Amino acid sequence: MTPTVEKALLIAGIGMAGIFVFMAVFYLLILALDRFLPYQEEKPAEELSEDSVSEEEE
Amino acid sequence: MGLEQLLPAIAGMTWQDLVMIGVGLVLIYLAIAKNYEPTLLLPMGFGAILVNIPLSSALTQIDPATGQAVEGVLNVFFDAGIATEIFPLLIFVAIGAMIDFSPLFRNPSLLLFGAAAQLGIFMTMMFASLLGYDLREAASIGIIGAADGPTSIVVASRFAPALLGPISVAAYSYMALVPIIQPPVIRLLTSRKERLIRMSSGSGKKISKKALILFPIAVTIVAGIIAPSSLALIGFLMFGNLVRECGVLNKLSLSAQNELASLVTLLLGITIASTMTADRFIRLDTLFVIALGLFAFVFDTFGGVIFAKFMNLFRKEDNKLNPMIGACGISAFPMSARVIHQMGQKEDPYNYLLMPAISANVGGQIGSVVAGGIILTLVPLFA
Repeated sequence: MTPTVEKALLIAGIGMAGIFVFMAVFYLLILALDRFLPYQEEKPAEELSEDSVSEEEE
Repeated sequence: MGLEQLLPAIAGMTWQDLVMIGVGLVLIYLAIAKNYEPTLLLPMGFGAILVNIPLSSALTQIDPATGQAVEGVLNVFFDAGIATEIFPLLIFVAIGAMIDFSPLFRNPSLLLFGAAAQLGIFMTMMFASLLGYDLREAASIGIIGAADGPTSIVVASRFAPALLGPISVAAYSYMALVPIIQPPVIRLLTSRKERLIRMSSGSGKKISKKALILFPIAVTIVAGIIAPSSLALIGFLMFGNLVRECGVLNKLSLSAQNELASLVTLLLGITIASTMTADRFIRLDTLFVIALGLFAFVFDTFGGVIFAKFMNLFRKEDNKLNPMIGACGISAFPMSARVIHQMGQKEDPYNYLLMPAISANVGGQIGSVVAGGIILTLVPLFA
């Protein structure tokens, strides 16, 4: 085995492990974002404007 | 007055030039008649004709009268757009603006296929080094397996500019040939029973806008901390995505997805062709690069499918993954997802694999860029 092949083998090992580490971190990031920022139904714009009008009237 | 003075281009034409003009015509044919990546292959094909006509003013030539170099426009584009990596990085902004990460939020575990299906990059790199290529060239050939044109161009232009032409042609051609390359490999690795496995789509789940806005920012920061040299690739991709998701730059987002993508792709294609001159392209290396590119795509598919089978060892019987989904971990979006969905429907018309396939495919788009960044970080440390 030539030194270049040995180095390529080493890069392959570190590289594949590195990609999995990156993806695992991104996976955890998605889980965290999904947990702490869950989807919430937004108030329709019309309702908002009615609220603001009624507040002004008061 | 002889032919040499009257028509110097004909007098200077060699058989190698004619072969390259033929290659250009084939690329144009594939783009128009077969619709194989036309946005890239057509400009590359036309550019190949442009640069292989002797004394072409599109390339830098020495003026015989003055002995001074007269710069050709394609060389100027190359120096300004590819040597500086500006063109591929602008393409990343455009791609980022096109990517919708919400399928990943619906099936986050499928992100891991975006890692497994990069196996072809490293297998090819090892194989290329066995064939005698140095580490930088081997890495540049291996990156064809990213199935991601801009990443291949960035890596090749930095590590092996002499191989940029064949690497780009191989990367874009095989991306277009995913529907032909992947199915036989998948059938070889899976049983019919496995191909019939149904998966939940998760399509009903709604994703918060805030999460989608924070995701590209967080990914950029995390990637920057772990591997700063990957930041140009990942950062530009995520910047494009932030423009898409922020909700206040809709016009810019549409411009990035359409005008920016079209213009830069056009320039990228014709500029890459400046490296497709006969003296650089008609070499045994080109054939090796083309063959190794196919090897990379086959091993990407292998890596994804085998990883899915491995994950199934730890999953309950009613929650198994369809191993074909693993093959979508490559970056060719949405072609790979579509291929897997069609393969699933061929086995069972009521099996809808499109949503999980798209989730894995989006993971592949991130994975390929990460792989490019890791190659850019690691290779200089060992070379």
